[in-house]
Amino acid sequence: MYGENTFSHYDVLLWLTGLKATLSMFFLSSILGCLLGTVFGLIRYYRIAVLAPIVFSLGEVLKNSPVIVQLFLIYFGVPMYFDVILTPFEAAAIVLSANTTAFIAVICVASLESVDKGQVATARSFAMKETDILVHVLFPQALVVAAPLVVGILVNQIQVTSLISIIGVIDLTQVGHILNQRTFEPFIVWPVIGITYFVLSGTISYMGTRVEKKFRIPE
Amino acid sequence: MSDFLPYALALWNGFTVTFLVSASAILGSLAVGTFVAVVVTSGTGLPKILGRAYIELFRNIPFLVLIFFFFFGLPELGIFINAFWTGALALSLAVGAYVADAVRSGISSVDRGVYAASITYGLSHAQRLRYVILPLAFRVSLRPLGSIFINLILTTSLLSTITLNELTNSAKIIASTTFKPFEVYFVLLVLYSVLTYTCSLIVQTYHHRLTRHL
Amino acid sequence: MIEFRNVSKSFDKKIVLNDISFKINKNEIVSILGTSGAGKSTLINCINGLVAPDEGDVIVDGLSVSNKNEINEIRKKCSTVFQSFNLYPHLSILQNITLAPMKVLKYKKDKAEKEALALLEKVDLQSHANAFPASLSGGEKQRAGICRALAMSPDYLLLDEITSSLDPELTAEIMQVLNALADEGITMILVTHEIGLAKKISSRIVFLESGRILADKPKDVFFSDAFGEENARIKDFLARSEGL
Repeated sequence: MYGENTFSHYDVLLWLTGLKATLSMFFLSSILGCLLGTVFGLIRYYRIAVLAPIVFSLGEVLKNSPVIVQLFLIYFGVPMYFDVILTPFEAAAIVLSANTTAFIAVICVASLESVDKGQVATARSFAMKETDILVHVLFPQALVVAAPLVVGILVNQIQVTSLISIIGVIDLTQVGHILNQRTFEPFIVWPVIGITYFVLSGTISYMGTRVEKKFRIPE
Repeated sequence: MSDFLPYALALWNGFTVTFLVSASAILGSLAVGTFVAVVVTSGTGLPKILGRAYIELFRNIPFLVLIFFFFFGLPELGIFINAFWTGALALSLAVGAYVADAVRSGISSVDRGVYAASITYGLSHAQRLRYVILPLAFRVSLRPLGSIFINLILTTSLLSTITLNELTNSAKIIASTTFKPFEVYFVLLVLYSVLTYTCSLIVQTYHHRLTRHL
Repeated sequence: MIEFRNVSKSFDKKIVLNDISFKINKNEIVSILGTSGAGKSTLINCINGLVAPDEGDVIVDGLSVSNKNEINEIRKKCSTVFQSFNLYPHLSILQNITLAPMKVLKYKKDKAEKEALALLEKVDLQSHANAFPASLSGGEKQRAGICRALAMSPDYLLLDEITSSLDPELTAEIMQVLNALADEGITMILVTHEIGLAKKISSRIVFLESGRILADKPKDVFFSDAFGEENARIKDFLARSEGL
């Protein structure tokens, strides 16, 4: 007989493969996104000439256009136009990192600006170096404001990773497609995939809250 | 120039579909979300727990998974509706959870004294909601709702995966016939940015008008 | 008639009203005095149904606040004016006043607005009819609040510390309005800190302390020296308050 139409224990392996892809994409894009986002945020906060407006406009376009279109642009458009080769995973990594960067940059700017300006002025009057002011005065306090917002972005990004299935990455959502097409059991397949994402989101949220608590400044 | 005409037309058609499905989903999610928010803030017991569960669940599952669930699941139940209405339904339920959270927050921000006044003057629960609580809640939630709906418009692009011929799908077809995906998707990106920018301007103006007197 | 029958109420294990029983008849003007936290606001809130008694009952013209079907009838008879005004911020002054008459008493819009404007004229606010609460001063807001209460043609007017949020000059403004109302024969229950106000317009004083009624006397008796001699706490209270 050809083609088993029911679930087998190999499907657990399939699910794990998808999970691995989703998680690696999440961690990669989150770490890159946070690093670059902070850099771009600093560029905007210190209003560095030429770069700041570019960073701002790029960020606005990234935040206000659909991720799926950005994925198509990079995965289908760039190889055609620039004559390079990109795997789906690479294209997705570029897009998701850029997307995360855009949101983190906004949070970075907002949280830096939320620090009481009087403190910066005082530090300057003590002839502290700008880099020291950044590290010792601004950063710790901005972090407290930024932490919950960053957690929110990360929880959102784990769901955005589901879009990479559209350009062919074998992530959780793609596994869902594969299983659905083979078994025709959408009421089992999709809830399972959905709950996996739900648990992932919840875990990130929970861990984020615990880390947040560590940053809190005693009142 | 006439080369562009069929493409411009295709994009325009795609745009109208995007517009219509967005409008339907905005209305749908507003209805669902407001209902759940009211249940969660004034109900007790099972409805309240269900409402909270709905918000938690649908906010932590990707839109794409929900869309596929409806697209592949409904036919199994014998419900055969086209991609447009499947998309509108899926988005209404998915975004409804975000709307519910925003409206719930708006309702809790209503001044307790004003709420007390509406009770003591004999207004029924439905009258209080309609004339005092919801108008005030929406004034507070307007901006968060604005960004939720702008995000919804962007999310309609996902409906291209269930064969709906909206803006992204139209562009995809153009890209594959012209073999110029970079140019096409770049233009598409700009188009969406313009769309969301216009919407955020509308939200700003509406917000200003409503909160003028407060 | 409003009757309290053995009403008790606690919040978070703290006893706020302790076995309160008394009656208020039509056309009386009763001032409820007492120290902060004595339970005065809670007392009034038991009448309009904002607070439900833990024990006992409040009967208003034969209707019980504990009866879900009757409480709304009670609310039609009792209008409350609040310390923090509590005007609906998104509605104009006129709309604030006409909302309940139109929706609860089912008045037509013309009738409700006509009566509302008449009330606003009485307190000299007619020019503000289409303004919004945010643009009014404290005194103006409270006058609007009084109009809103009167628009329901209530049998009983409940006034909860209505001058406490106002500067002294504005308090005088409100006192004038209340004086005029008192002369019209409306039944009023005032919770207040203003001894002067209580002395001037009330017919009866109820003194509350720690959730119990310490004294319930006609005004002249309450403020007499003889009474003060017999009741040290009340004498103390009056002395401290009048010093303000």
